[in-house]
Order: sequence, then C-alpha cells, then structure tokens
Amino acid sequence: MHRRYFLKLLSKGAFASLGFLSCFSYLRAEDSLEYALKGQDLIQKKRYKDAIAVLKKAIAADPKSDWAFGLLGRAYLGDDKKAESVAAFREAVRLNPDDSYSRMVIEKITQKPIPRIKDKKRPLTPLESSAHMEEASMLKRIRSKKGLGYQLRRVVIDAGHGGFDSGAVGPSGLKEKDVTLDLALRLDQKLKQSGRIKSFLTRSGDYYVPLSDRTVTANQFQADLFVSLHINANQKRSAKGSETYFCSEKASSAEAHKVAALENSVLKFDEPYKKKPGYIDIEEILFKFEQTLYWNESSRFAEVFQQKLESHLPFKSRGVHSANFYVLRRAKMPSILLETGFVSNPEEEAVLKQPGFREKIANSIAMGLL
Amino acid sequence: MPRFLPSFYIFLFLLVAAAFICMAGPCETAASDVDSIIFKGADYLYKEQLEKAEKCFKEAVRLDPKNEFAHNKLGIVYAKQMRFDDAFKEFLLVTKLDGKNTFAHKMIGILYLKKGEMNLAFDRFNSIVKIDPNNADAYYFIGAIYNFRHNQAKAIEYLKKARDAASHEADTHYRLAKAFHNADMVENAMLEYQRALEIKPAYTKALNEIGWIYYNRGDPDKAISAWKKTLKINNRDRDAVYNIAKAYNDLALNAAKSGNRAEAIKYWKKVISINPGNKAAKYYLNKMLPG
Repeated sequence: MHRRYFLKLLSKGAFASLGFLSCFSYLRAEDSLEYALKGQDLIQKKRYKDAIAVLKKAIAADPKSDWAFGLLGRAYLGDDKKAESVAAFREAVRLNPDDSYSRMVIEKITQKPIPRIKDKKRPLTPLESSAHMEEASMLKRIRSKKGLGYQLRRVVIDAGHGGFDSGAVGPSGLKEKDVTLDLALRLDQKLKQSGRIKSFLTRSGDYYVPLSDRTVTANQFQADLFVSLHINANQKRSAKGSETYFCSEKASSAEAHKVAALENSVLKFDEPYKKKPGYIDIEEILFKFEQTLYWNESSRFAEVFQQKLESHLPFKSRGVHSANFYVLRRAKMPSILLETGFVSNPEEEAVLKQPGFREKIANSIAMGLL
Repeated sequence: MPRFLPSFYIFLFLLVAAAFICMAGPCETAASDVDSIIFKGADYLYKEQLEKAEKCFKEAVRLDPKNEFAHNKLGIVYAKQMRFDDAFKEFLLVTKLDGKNTFAHKMIGILYLKKGEMNLAFDRFNSIVKIDPNNADAYYFIGAIYNFRHNQAKAIEYLKKARDAASHEADTHYRLAKAFHNADMVENAMLEYQRALEIKPAYTKALNEIGWIYYNRGDPDKAISAWKKTLKINNRDRDAVYNIAKAYNDLALNAAKSGNRAEAIKYWKKVISINPGNKAAKYYLNKMLPG
C-alpha cells in the first residue's frame, strides 16, 4: 500500500474513533441526566429504594455528577441509611466544594452518632505490605516502653554562628563561633558514645548556616529537642556567668530582650519572616496548643540544664530567662538556647579557651540530656 | 388636597417598609421556615460572611429555641469571630438539649484545648467515644493529646482508630503519619502521608514531610521535587522554600568541600534562586565568583 494513502486511512480511522468516543461519552452523560431526573422524581414520590437503584445507574453513567451524588444522599437519608447518605453527600462535596446544601446536610446528620460502613477488603499495595511488616515489629518495641513521659531520642545540636558570622569576639580575640562549634562536636560525640540518644549537628565546620536552616535541620530529623549553643557578650566586661533561654512571646526581662536582639541580629542576613494571613480552624488551634506545650516543656528543660551548668561549672548562674529568639521560635519541638559564659569577660574568655574546660561544659550539657 | 392622601402615603410607606423587611430581614432572606433560614445561614458561613450568618442563626434559634443544629452553627460563628465564651455557651446549651449531640461535645473539647485545658478536653473527647464508638473526630483528638503527652503507642492506637472510623479525613492521615514518623516507622509514615495527599492533593505539609523522608534516605532529587510540588501549590510556603534552600546549600557545601567549585557555585545559585535573601549562599558566591 502507498505510504501516504495508508496515513490518510489511518487519520480517517482516528477521527472516526474519536467521534465515536465523544459521542459515546455524550450519550452516557445524557443517560446519567435522565436517570438522575428519574431518581429525583422517585424521591419526591418517597420511593427511596427505587430512587437509590436509579441514582446508582446515573452515577455509573457519569461518576463525576455531583448532582447525582447529592440526590443519592437524599434518597439514602429518606431510606434512613445515614452512613450511606453521608458518604454520598461527601462525594458530592468532593466533586463540587461549593455545594453548600450537601455540606450542611453532612453536618446536620453527623451531629449525632451514625452507624459505620465497613470498608471493602482489597489486596495490599507493596507500600502497605511493608508498612504492615514494619508496624508488627516496631509497635511491640514502642508499647514495651510504656511511652509515658518525655523520652529524648533525637537531639539536634546547633553550634551558634559560623563562617563570616563570628558572633561575639573576646578581648583577646576568642570567637564565639569557634567555641560553640567545639562544644557541639564534643557534645555530639558524647551522645553518640552513650548510644541512648541520636544526635545531629546543624554545622560541623566553620561555615555560616542561616538561622532558617538550623531549625529546618531539627524539623528534618523530627528531633525531640533542639539545643542551640552560644557564648554571651556584654559591653560591661564584668558581666559573667551562664544562663539558659527558652522561647516565649514576651521577654522575661529587659536584659533577656537584649540578648535575644543580639542573637537575632544575624537575621539581617536572612529573609524577613512573612506571616501568612491566618484564619481560625481546628488544626490552627491544635498547632497553637502544641506550640504552647513545646514552650512549657522548653522551660522545664531550661531549668534542668541551668541546674546542671550551675552545679558542674565554676560560672555564676544567671538563671533561666525567656525571650523571642528566632532560632527557637521556628522549631517544631521544645528548644533551648544556652549561653555558657561571657566571651567579653577576660577571665571567662581565658577559661573558655581551655579544651579541658570546654570538656566540662560539654559534660554538663550531656548530663542534662542523658 | 383630598383628605385620603396622608393615609394613602402612610399605607404606601408601610407597604414599602414591609417589602424591605421581607427582602432584607434579619437574615436577608425572604424565607420564614427555620430550615430555609438555617440553610441561608450555613451558606453565609461557608462563604465566611459571619455577620450575616450570625443573623440567620439567631433568627433560627428565636423561631425554634430547641434547634440543636442552629445553636451549633451559631456557636461556630461565634468561635470564628473569636467570641469563645459565647460559643462555649451555645455548645453547652446543645448538650443540655440532648446529651448525645457529639458535635457540641467535640466543640466544647476543642474550646477547652483553646484555653489550654488539656485534661478537660481529654475527658470530653473520651465521653464522646462512650456515646459513639465510631466517632472519628473524638479518636483524632484523643490521639493528638496522647501525642502531646509523648505517649507514642497510644497516639498511634487512637489515630489509627480515627483513620479506620473515617478514612476520608486528610488531617487524620497526616497526624497519624507524623506519629509514625516520630516513632521512626517511616514506611507507615510514607503510606499515611500519601493517603493524605490522595484525599487532598494540595496538602503541602504532607508533601514537605515526604520530602524529608526522601532526603534522609539519601535522595535529594526526589526530596527537592516534592518541595517544588509544594511551591507549585503555594509559592510562599516558607517550609518548602527553606527546605529546598537547605538541600541545595548542603549539596553546595559538600561540593565545595570535595573541591568541586563549579558544582558548588551551581548549587549556591540555586539557593539564591529559591531564597534570594539567603546570606550564606550570597556570601559564598561572592567569594567564589570572580569580580
């Protein structure tokens, strides 16, 4: 056969079949409409069982007809099959989210208990099968722990500052970023050695990590606690001691506000935080409740850590404070910020330089965690 | 001037006023039966026209003071207007009208959560389960509270009950996925995140978490692709922006560490394209690029 003639025939065939298919779908939509109208008529005559049978045909002919699903919901409701009715109305709303009537009826019916429709059994997908196997082995382990109380399993350790952001610098040139990194590495090693807590670092070298990235790391590992390590500084060289912070909307003191402002000052390097216009919904309520819980738990962790620092370090304890730290606010878990000494104080700067003293600090923090 | 005119004008005025009242009554509907007024109110509520919805539901409860649905809807309107005490009163009234109105009990529980009263909320949700052992919402909140109390096994148990009672709720699948994820049950987490997405393809929180599963499995390309899907749905999703920026930043740092300068520059440029304010990428690019 000539090639061009063959192509011509093929295209004719394609058009013909396309026409046939579109005609077929049109006919099916027509069928659906007719069945739905018939169903509506039967509902008006209160012949609900007949209406259900006819409306099922309407849906089979056009599974995207929200109108037919809405009518089916009404028919089921008339037949006192509330669960089936809700399922049909839900499908109507899924297909047409503007269907206020179906939404309202669902809400009205579900105000009070309704029976449940049993799901039809079907073969498992590969992911479902592996999920079942995982569940069988993991849930036993979780249940054996009884699960009560806070169990730290994953901690993200954040070495403050880094790279071009040296943080505070002491009178003899000691940089906050170097001390915090060394402390973080020591703490990480101790936790790994313990085998009880998995630890992760926001940075493991001298490079700058944006504040946003730091909490992102904590969220990445579903951490149970985020610990941000810092060294304090003050214009008064006599200022000294250790203190622990947790996040709160309002600073606990003017001094705490200043410290948060100092640590947040790096924000000028980051994109400003843009709040989305919010609206009240249940998830929002749960989220806010969760956040308040995290902050309360953070406050308890802060107390524990400050006690450890107080009893194991020769530093004066400056207590626990709260302020709105950017690096803590975005964490989706309890989070604290430790200020272990003042690099601006020549005496504390001198001890902070000593590896043995840093080891002591790391030990004190580890004791708070283990 | 004929004597009948003033009374004619009064009659005309009353007629017009009556017409106005009928057209734009308290609920702005000509309907006088309670069901129609409630339907109108529900329509306003779905459209977030809260003042109009409030008028309708107030009118409905005036006409039918024992209408539980109208009281519940009025409670919802108050809650949306942040008038939580008024909302609480409405829901409490419904539970007095009928102790089996699980919706009102649920809303009371939610308002307790709003007030930070976790234990009272927990008791209220448990009372719902006693009335209706198939109540998915009650199981959902009990599961969420167990999660807040760090009881992983119970959280999973109740969230699974919520899922089994109503498998069409994307939020339930998401919260169950998070509980699995926190318990290191990644396969189950993935399955439930995917189920949430099947129900609600625009569920960006699920997409973002799926991204982390891929990323932690060592597949940054799939992770970035998941977060990019989020940005297609909402280009201002901060989590997705920061996640992608972090992924590219990590890739750039690794490339720089292994001496692959061109690769590092490529990834830092990508960081800038996704997060123009990222000072780390800006700094390192300035340092690496000539001029």
